[in-house]
Amino acid sequence: MNPRTRSLGGWAVLLVAALVCALGGWSYAQARGDDDLAYAKSRDAALADGRQALARLNTLDGKDAKSVDAGLAGWLESATGPLHDQLKRTHKKDAADLAKSGTTARGKVTDAALTELDDRTGTALMIATVDVEITPRTGKAGTERKRFEATLTRTGDGWKIKALTALGIGSGA
Amino acid sequence: MNTDVEENEDTATAKAADEKAEPALEAAKEPAPEPPEQTDDDDNGARRERRWPRVLAGVLVVALLAAGAVMYAAGRQLRDTPATSNRALTDSAATAQVAGEVTNALGKVFSYSPDGTDATKASAQKLLAGKALQQYAALFGQVEKQSADQKLTLTTHVVRAGVTRLTPDSAHLLVLLDQVYERKGRAASKAAAQLSVTARLREGRWTIVEITSR
Repeated sequence: MNPRTRSLGGWAVLLVAALVCALGGWSYAQARGDDDLAYAKSRDAALADGRQALARLNTLDGKDAKSVDAGLAGWLESATGPLHDQLKRTHKKDAADLAKSGTTARGKVTDAALTELDDRTGTALMIATVDVEITPRTGKAGTERKRFEATLTRTGDGWKIKALTALGIGSGA
Repeated sequence: MNTDVEENEDTATAKAADEKAEPALEAAKEPAPEPPEQTDDDDNGARRERRWPRVLAGVLVVALLAAGAVMYAAGRQLRDTPATSNRALTDSAATAQVAGEVTNALGKVFSYSPDGTDATKASAQKLLAGKALQQYAALFGQVEKQSADQKLTLTTHVVRAGVTRLTPDSAHLLVLLDQVYERKGRAASKAAAQLSVTARLREGRWTIVEITSR
């Protein structure tokens, strides 16, 4: 190798390294700027958070005043906007009623799907089926099957439920 | 390196010298056009000066390669989630298509009238497959009998349908239905039904392969 080919080789190595770096950067930029990818991630996040929030809103341990308070705090944490306001308004009455009845409910989301997602405004519509296991203070436990439509909103602390509708029979197509 | 050594077989210190890039040896092994002896001192100084750019270039090469690798890995990590393979909602046309076809299929196979059981059966054969066909057959056997005996008419319509998973050839949906039972001379009764449905794309049409009641 004479100095000239050596220095040419050096430049070539440098060029290849620069190309590798540029390719890596391009691949990263592509992934960052991929709208479909961002949308898909929002969808999965909304569904996961929505399921969790809905299960919590169908769950309450009515053992004593303390557990009722903890359950109601969980409701407030899962809700936002109008639903949050409503729950807050009726908080005192709810707490008294629930502590009095002593009924324990355990909600489990059996299946859920998003029907709409607007990533830009951070809103989504979710449908879900929930099995609520209800155990009265005295008497036999039973399971209720419910179906809901929930409006989700993205907050700083994940997706939360803004409005919740129980889809009864004949609730329209 | 090997070829260098071979070229300098007669030089005892060829290898070591070559590694250090001693100017005299460089000259010896490469009879350059310029006479090396005269420019020895100059060359030595120049080479020492030229070593810095070379070190710098080496560092730069390593840095560029490392940066490229890190960015590539970061990009891969961004993409490497289950979210990417699921096209539900991201491919809105395909999502609407599968939701529409499954909605139509469920409406057809879960609606029957006393004199229309054959038509229902035929559409079930066409729209259902695999496990769903067995699950449906078990259900339909009873209803077929009732339908004929009691003049029972069942109408099913889909209230909401949502796609949870969608790949090019398979889909998972949650479908909320309302069912209306009508018996001759009696008031109609309504019931709610919820189904988790798995569908597969067969010959360009979505076929229901599994039904789970929720």
